[in-house]
Amino acid sequence: MGEFIWHQWSRFVSISATIYAIWASFFGFFYRKFFWDFVGGTLRDPGGLQPSKNVAFFITVIVKVPVVQILAMILGFVILALEMPLPMLKQYSFYRSFMLRIVLHLLEAFLTVLFYQGTNAALWSIITALCYSRAISLGESMAEAKQNRGRDGPA
Amino acid sequence: MVTYLPVIQEPTVFNILAYTSESADVPAGEWVDTDPLAIEASKSQQVKMRSFSTDVHRIEAMLVYREFLVARRLTFNVLFYGAHLALFAYGWHSQETNKKLAGLNSLKFSVWVSRGAGLVLALDGGLILVPMLRNIIRVVRPRLAWLFPADENIWFHRQVAYSMAFWAMVHTTSHYVNFINVERTQIRKQTAQQIHYTQPGGITGHFMLLIMLLMYTTAHNKIRAQCFEAFWYTHHLAFFFMLGLYTHATGCFVRDSVDPDYIKTFPFYSTDHCLGYLSWRFTIWPGIIYFGERVWREIRARRATRLSKVLVHPSGAMELRITKPSFKYTAGQWLFIQIPEISNFQWHPFTITSAPEDPYVSVHIRQVGDWTRALGERLGVGPSVVAAMTSAAMKGTEKDSKYGITRGDFVELDPAVSSITLPQVRIDGPYGAPAEDVFNNEVAVLIGAGIGVTPFASILKHIWYRQKKGKLGSLRRVEFFWVCRDAPSFGWFQSLLQEVEAAQADPNFLRINIYLTQKIGEDMLWNIAVNDAGADYDPLTLLRSRTMFGRPDWKAIYSQMRQAIESGQYLPGSTSQLKTKVGTYFCGPGVLAKAIKEATVENSNAAVDFLFAKEHF
Repeated sequence: MGEFIWHQWSRFVSISATIYAIWASFFGFFYRKFFWDFVGGTLRDPGGLQPSKNVAFFITVIVKVPVVQILAMILGFVILALEMPLPMLKQYSFYRSFMLRIVLHLLEAFLTVLFYQGTNAALWSIITALCYSRAISLGESMAEAKQNRGRDGPA
Repeated sequence: MVTYLPVIQEPTVFNILAYTSESADVPAGEWVDTDPLAIEASKSQQVKMRSFSTDVHRIEAMLVYREFLVARRLTFNVLFYGAHLALFAYGWHSQETNKKLAGLNSLKFSVWVSRGAGLVLALDGGLILVPMLRNIIRVVRPRLAWLFPADENIWFHRQVAYSMAFWAMVHTTSHYVNFINVERTQIRKQTAQQIHYTQPGGITGHFMLLIMLLMYTTAHNKIRAQCFEAFWYTHHLAFFFMLGLYTHATGCFVRDSVDPDYIKTFPFYSTDHCLGYLSWRFTIWPGIIYFGERVWREIRARRATRLSKVLVHPSGAMELRITKPSFKYTAGQWLFIQIPEISNFQWHPFTITSAPEDPYVSVHIRQVGDWTRALGERLGVGPSVVAAMTSAAMKGTEKDSKYGITRGDFVELDPAVSSITLPQVRIDGPYGAPAEDVFNNEVAVLIGAGIGVTPFASILKHIWYRQKKGKLGSLRRVEFFWVCRDAPSFGWFQSLLQEVEAAQADPNFLRINIYLTQKIGEDMLWNIAVNDAGADYDPLTLLRSRTMFGRPDWKAIYSQMRQAIESGQYLPGSTSQLKTKVGTYFCGPGVLAKAIKEATVENSNAAVDFLFAKEHF
């Protein structure tokens, strides 16, 4: 019992959000839909929702070719590799950077909020980013991995 | 990597030999032992051993236990997951074959899966609170202990939660498919976003997922250990989660009409056209009972309670003596305590250390967390004061010393004498297993391991009271075992043992056996050798009973006891026609329980019946 360590909790939120994002983008490959297509779109029967011409760019990168979903999934795996973590990443100093995590999560939130399945992942990623900022503002830091303690050079 | 190990019942040493190349020199006689590690049955059966690394390689040693196929666990798995799969299949089938729902069935698999998973989630939603009905469990436990492990309620709660997370994933995923297909085929004139974010089913669903994110992440072992409060407060989001669960279907998504058929009276939708499973009719009951239990606990906690005395032991433990006439308990139970001055909402669990015969209820609190430290500060016995007391006590370790205080002494904080005011306290309980059936045995073997020794404080005192009154039932002898890494950290318990030991008129009634399992350094060895010879008291525990070192050999202990009973030495006057009942009461980690249970089973015969009870107290 004792003090609440924000970055350790953030890690669990981050892992949950990221797994959600990966799963959502996986389903996004099969059921492609631009989340914000209802803005200015018209609902037709038959035919479904017809997005407005103004969002043609998003329709291209989400519905025609699932670029956003692919990027979100790749980014998801990158975050997961950082958070789980992949053993070879432990030796680098960026592994202990909260700022990097915040940036990655905001990017992930930006990508996932664009497609239909990703909204919860986006919300959870923003929560993760907020938690990590809280960790930074409290001056928390991650302990360096044991094997590169006391070593020379760029650790 | 070793992929197969037999089921191990005894403490076992693993020697890990790792080769990096065929020509490498193998060091001989340089093995380094790790500390002994107990594998708790309720934990995830993973134990991390010592890891090491060289410049080139890194060796991690981990022991993973798979208890999956042990008969009892197997039965649980078959019943639990079997019930889940059966409900899933039923939910799927009843949706697929429902002629009224032909419209929805045009969505095919996704709707069948979502309905099946929804029904499974209803089961989990109903079950999740059941293991938390503490008062009801306490009442039904003695009668149902054979049927299900009532002690493992938190474990069961977690299994339901894991299952809930999985099925929530299945349910949500299939609904994402459902709603996009509703939008594309326009079987309802809606967009997917409207169903997700404007209808009750969608809103409550997303809301529940968010609550689950917060509850699951803060319930992680690591977070719970570092900040229990974060877990405790966040887990009360369960209230909103349950509200979401009960109202999840009020949007009448599963219907055979074009629009939802809302009505003016409860439940505000007509069951003629809203064809959900109406599972809330069942799942709401555990919720109502749980809520009622919390209200009842609150009422009970508000009854007159007074903190009458605080004793501070040199080891840092604070003994709170509380008077509450309405509080009835039996030896070996525990309670929740709250001190509004420190925190208005937090309840902390502690084992009761007084006997029911005592005019007060006492708990021993060590200053280890922020709440307990805050209590120490409040009572004016913060860490610095305790440290001073401890060092004074260490100087006066010899029992007969004329100066200073000894380890067994304590400082009393009495409001009548000193200027300290005692805070208001509230207690809730009791919970846990009563150990009343100790008195049905001729011989009681009480075994406490590590911190698991605390309930025996109450039980030993209780036995002592009954002994004084001559109401021991059939109990003739008590063997008390305490297996511990380092006994001095439980100074208060030692002093209690001293009292009990000193009060024994019959030297054969109670035998105290203390086993120290920690490795002994050279200094300590000499210390013992010098102080132990010819002294009346053991130098470590200040008891008349000698401390033994190393792990107890349970098989030898039990077979000696059996032989002694059979030959009539152990219980003078007992006739061999009667079967002697020896009851073992154990509190501690699971591996040890297994070893002891084996020893009891092995040594039971026609004349002596060894019984075993593992208690979580």
